[in-house]
Amino acid sequence: MIEIKLVVNNKPYTLGVEPSERLIDALRNRLGLLGTKEGCGEGECGACTVIMDGKTVNSCLVLAVQANGSVITSIEGVGNRRSPHPVQKAFVEVGAVQCGFCTPGMVLSAKNLLDKNSKPSNEEIGIAMSGNLCRCTGYDKILRAVKIAAEEGKE
Amino acid sequence: MKKRGIGLGCSWYGTGYGNGFPDVSSAFVEIHDDGSATVLTGAVDVGQGSNSIFAQIAAEELGLESQDICVYSGDTDATPDSGTTAATRQTYNTGNAVLKAVRQAKSSLLDYAAHEFSCPTSEGIELKAGYIGVKGDSSRRMPLADMVFQARLKGERFISAESSTARSTPVDPETGQGAPYWPYAFGCQMAEVEVNTETGMVRVLKVVAVHDVGKALNPTQVEGQIAGGVTQGIGFALLEELELKEGKINNPALSSYLIPTALDVPSIEALFVEDAECTGPFGAKGLGEPAMLPTVAAIINAIDDAVGVRITSLPATPEKILQALAEKKEGLGE
Ligand code: FES
Ligand code: FES
Repeated sequence: MIEIKLVVNNKPYTLGVEPSERLIDALRNRLGLLGTKEGCGEGECGACTVIMDGKTVNSCLVLAVQANGSVITSIEGVGNRRSPHPVQKAFVEVGAVQCGFCTPGMVLSAKNLLDKNSKPSNEEIGIAMSGNLCRCTGYDKILRAVKIAAEEGKE
Repeated sequence: MKKRGIGLGCSWYGTGYGNGFPDVSSAFVEIHDDGSATVLTGAVDVGQGSNSIFAQIAAEELGLESQDICVYSGDTDATPDSGTTAATRQTYNTGNAVLKAVRQAKSSLLDYAAHEFSCPTSEGIELKAGYIGVKGDSSRRMPLADMVFQARLKGERFISAESSTARSTPVDPETGQGAPYWPYAFGCQMAEVEVNTETGMVRVLKVVAVHDVGKALNPTQVEGQIAGGVTQGIGFALLEELELKEGKINNPALSSYLIPTALDVPSIEALFVEDAECTGPFGAKGLGEPAMLPTVAAIINAIDDAVGVRITSLPATPEKILQALAEKKEGLGE
């Protein structure tokens, strides 16, 4: 066991983790944050996306020990039912969620894009979302939702 | 050189299990004394939105809002079997079972209300905007919740269990005659592509998809199903290849079995034709699988239109396109 310190969704934690433990396992199993999904476990699908020190990462490819000292946002730290994040609001409004398995990762990728670039072009939105696979929606409504969230942020 | 082409694809698709296999869905319904209703059905909502559809169907029939309906689904401990979420069948088949069950529970409520309103027949009673009352007489009505509450105190319950079976017949192997499916779904799509003649890469620039959905009970879901289908169709046409070797899948990973990403999808224009299906719940029929079928033909035809080669095995990979282009050149004796 190795001791690591990290901040998840604005709360500081000290965790004992295995040397080979992945960040996704630490989040899901040790902190009970089940919103982070495991789709492929090999860095292809983006379902496990979290924001780590301002960058989106595939938490299935990050070792928990690599997250020592970092600041992490998982989907549980982005809005809630009563006060959804603009991206979440737009997802609901346009119907960008079908099975929902890709949604936490999609929302985090979109949020991180808008945090850095409040006026993304269509191309920039496509590139920012291209690391997150979705099998249900055909991306159409997801991309539209991100655009709506961006426009709302501008006002 | 980059060349553009346009292609058309049309499809028809028999929904449901078909071929004489009885296609049964069931539902339990209860109308409660708080003006809500519960629908229990085994249909599993995998994200296509069947739970919302069932709530809409029940609400429409009871004169309530869909948020007044609680749908419990896909729990083998509690819900009646409604078959698989497959064959493009839940809106139509389970939708019909839900409607039948709601109507059954509603009819005992109407009978009770007719008696309370001293109406000779339940034909004269209607459910509208949360109220139950005598048709055409706004002075004789009360909130649905109050009526059910009063009835409850008198020991009345408005509960039902119903099944709906879609019937089909096997096809006669000799004559090819029969009624193997009902209903059929129809669709037509056009794709515009750009083919790079040096790399064989195909980019889909635009897809316009038009589908006959009977009646669109939930237009947002219809658009979502079409866009999802088109995108799977693009994968089917250009990317997705299951490599089998001695009965084993060679590429069981998203790194070797590629599906479309946000950058591979074009603008998708989803349109629907509403030609009510008279056997469907409020005229609806299924759309799930049919949405991806015309895409493949439209893209393959568009490639042909762009560079004049016919790809006859899927997916149309750059290698196949380059080879076809080379063969065409040879054939022309260049
Ligand atoms: S689970 Fe991490 S990228 Fe798929
Ligand atoms: S909604 Fe199902 S994978 Fe995206």
